[in-house]
Amino acid sequence: MNKPTATMRLAWRLSLLSFALAYISGAATPAHPDYAPPRLSDGTPDFRGIWQARGTAYANIEGHPAENGLSASKSVVIDTPDGKIPYLPEARKQREQNFRDRATADPGANCFQAGVPRAVLLPTPFQIVQSPGNFAFVYTDNHSYRLVEPDALPHDDGIDFFMGDSRGHWEGDTLVVDVTDLGDQTWLDEAGNFHSDQLHVVERYRRLSADTMLYEARMEDPKTYAHPFTIRQMLYRDTRPGARITEDECLEGSDGRWHHLSPYDQKALLGHDYKAELAAESKALAAAAAKQ
Amino acid sequence: MKNTLIVAAALVACCNWAAPLSAQSQSQSRPAASTPPTGITVPSAPEVAGEIPRLPDGHPNLQGLWHNDVGVEALRKAGLGDIHSPGTPLPFPYFPETDKIREYRELHDPYHDPEAHCHVPGVPRVIEQPSSIMPFRIIQDEKYVTILFEYVHDVRIIPEDGSAHPKHYWAWDGDSRGHWEGDTFVVDVANFNGRSWLDMDGNFVDENEHVVERFKMTGPNSIAYDATVEDPTVFTRPWTMHLNLRRNPAKDQIVYYDCHEGERDVEHYTRSEGNAASKHE
Repeated sequence: MNKPTATMRLAWRLSLLSFALAYISGAATPAHPDYAPPRLSDGTPDFRGIWQARGTAYANIEGHPAENGLSASKSVVIDTPDGKIPYLPEARKQREQNFRDRATADPGANCFQAGVPRAVLLPTPFQIVQSPGNFAFVYTDNHSYRLVEPDALPHDDGIDFFMGDSRGHWEGDTLVVDVTDLGDQTWLDEAGNFHSDQLHVVERYRRLSADTMLYEARMEDPKTYAHPFTIRQMLYRDTRPGARITEDECLEGSDGRWHHLSPYDQKALLGHDYKAELAAESKALAAAAAKQ
Repeated sequence: MKNTLIVAAALVACCNWAAPLSAQSQSQSRPAASTPPTGITVPSAPEVAGEIPRLPDGHPNLQGLWHNDVGVEALRKAGLGDIHSPGTPLPFPYFPETDKIREYRELHDPYHDPEAHCHVPGVPRVIEQPSSIMPFRIIQDEKYVTILFEYVHDVRIIPEDGSAHPKHYWAWDGDSRGHWEGDTFVVDVANFNGRSWLDMDGNFVDENEHVVERFKMTGPNSIAYDATVEDPTVFTRPWTMHLNLRRNPAKDQIVYYDCHEGERDVEHYTRSEGNAASKHE
């Protein structure tokens, strides 16, 4: 959701390279229909790990040419004839307006959390945290998280949340998550594709191999789309030992523009020299004392 | 529960914004060399009868939804918007020069509280003040203890694989590595970015902060929490914050909370209409 900085782009290219190397070396095993995921002590499939989408669908889920340092992407919409979102006529106009205004109108520019399914497609990893009876997605981007409560607990209808309200159940080895209460404050990508507060997402997560997971999200929004449609994206596990989600904060700066704080860049993070700040405060303090 | 949490969210939203204003009004009545506020004292945790629940790996089961038990009432008595670090040994043992900086921040610079700008609180503040009102959820397996906070959707994923802190990494919440000492979960936290405040009173730490947290179960649904904070460039000696944590009924849930400045510059924040520009969900 964020215009990547040079560092982020480099990190992304490196991660693409490592994926490619892993693929060539055969570490990424091909999908096998009979793949049985490992299990937790209560028998539920074990989805734990750090996962990330490959590709650039986050820029435009309807596909886009290679541009602005991004590789080209095919549409990830799988069940419309042209791979396009089946907007209602009014909504299509809004989408076109969104596209023109995307530099400032993208909710990501306000540092809003990404929403669903956008959070899953982002070029930053997320971690699945799981134990018997508990399931959570923890995203790098904007330190968002989603708790997947069991279906038996009804949705918290009446309040909207950036990341929605998630309820899940298992269909065989597939996790099915029903997401509502998403509000109308999030987009689907960086290209202005959007939804209303009527959006209802049904996500399906299925491990195809030790290191791959198939993600599908069916989106229904009668105020925006003529009929429901589905996106599909492969997710890849980060197999590096000791891999971790790192802290990410998106904050609006005093110039009114968003910026992400990188925990690897102490200078940018501190914004200014901390020691100098203390010295300035001491000086101001002395000046205040001298006045009295 | 849901309604309570919404009200609580509104309460915190209100007091976050009110804090700098009330602190500013104090600055007019309070002499420059103000006496440090007295804190909310927290009694040591009583041992509660009953079996401590455990996971298959034998460790105490910390999972569920937790509050610290300082509670809304105690905070209200202390003065909402003027919360003085419950469970901490006030005044903090500053060096003379760092105490001056604290005083300056409290009297003249309260709106630089990072929480007022929607930063995550840091450790141990995240267990201390927001968790009196907003709960946090723990998910635990044999590799990680994960703490998901309602407050500003802060998350700490704490590995217990004996790995070391990273190098060249500076974060608001630092970097947490955990291990078990008997039935106590001990977390070593370093790699702070040096910008966190400890409360709304300008108490602060720098990038040399180092925290050791101890989560000790004292009963089926209670934890005695201690955080020992050392920062050799800010404090003359380490000090320990103590809180008691209480597990909520299983049916209770996190209600997502978000914080956005919605600001264009810091000056708006100090004007009354600045509040209208802010947005809390």
